[in-house]
Amino acid sequence: MKLFSTYRVLAFVVGALLAFCSFVALPLRYLPTEGSSLQQLGETLSVLWVAHGWAFMAYVVVTFLLARKLRWSIGFTILNLAAGLIPLLIFFMEHQVNRKVRAEHPELVTPSAV
Amino acid sequence: MTAKLAPRFWGAHLLALVLVAIAVGLGLWQYGAWQAHREAQAADLTDAAPVPLDEVMGPDDPFPGTKVGQPVIVRGSWVPTGTVYVSGRERAGQDGYWAVTPLAVGGPGAAALPVVRGWVAHPGDAPAPPSGTTELTAWLQPPEGTGQPDDDPTDDVLPQLRIADVIQHVDQDLYGAYGVAEQPEPGLERADLAQLPDVGALTSIRNLLYAIEWWFFGAFAAFIWWRWLTEEPEPEPAEEPADTPVG
Repeated sequence: MKLFSTYRVLAFVVGALLAFCSFVALPLRYLPTEGSSLQQLGETLSVLWVAHGWAFMAYVVVTFLLARKLRWSIGFTILNLAAGLIPLLIFFMEHQVNRKVRAEHPELVTPSAV
Repeated sequence: MTAKLAPRFWGAHLLALVLVAIAVGLGLWQYGAWQAHREAQAADLTDAAPVPLDEVMGPDDPFPGTKVGQPVIVRGSWVPTGTVYVSGRERAGQDGYWAVTPLAVGGPGAAALPVVRGWVAHPGDAPAPPSGTTELTAWLQPPEGTGQPDDDPTDDVLPQLRIADVIQHVDQDLYGAYGVAEQPEPGLERADLAQLPDVGALTSIRNLLYAIEWWFFGAFAAFIWWRWLTEEPEPEPAEEPADTPVG
């Protein structure tokens, strides 16, 4: 099912960007001395926040559609949407979603989508 | 849909309104920041109060990007032997030259700032380069250089005011900038500023992208609100066919 695969790809992209921005770009930008080359690097890498924001937009739409289709509860849906903003949570949630889909809608999981 | 207007749903409506308002507000804030950055970058400094050159940049500093066109006061001695003429300078539709003489800032032998003394139609008509000490006000400009080669390095005519070319004509260091004298020398016309601040298309584009993002999330919240308002109370899923794989 394409929607589920799209969800998994977007979850990974959003999660990776968020983790990188939070744990690499953010400390680099604020911890080193102002104007040093490390700090400049952090400044440059902070552009990736924009990429995260736009990937997150797509993630919200796809996750919402998936949630409607699979009739997730409101709480589970909101938790999944918010996972795109809390570092590392999305990897855990993606694992949960994967298990849930396999248990409840095994017909959606193509053999290749491990 | 009218059922959703019952008082017990008012909290949900309020939440939706607040979420949409927050998203729109944050988007407007980012949009404002985007505009403010662009205006700040386009600020025309040419009418600003002149400041001493050493307050803007030192001899070894890179050109300060926010100081294009800043009037600076320069005091020092002329280096008349370093005089060059920069070709291809238009003034009032007429092709001509800039008369440029380096000014050793502080005293002879010190690092020099090339100063555009004025415009002239032919280098032969230009008055003899000045010597001695002077104090003048000039608009600070970043050095030129798009790589156009000086086809005859032995003469005093350059195609561009490139520091790497001017330095062949002097014995000292040069600033990474040049000045355009506010008052042209007698016998020369006033040179037009070649470079004024320009707002790039990408200036603080990040703020604009954030603004769009916020508005998108506002629209998304409004969409969910609308969907929830208009959807009929759902029949129990049991009587619906099971989800079929799509795509």
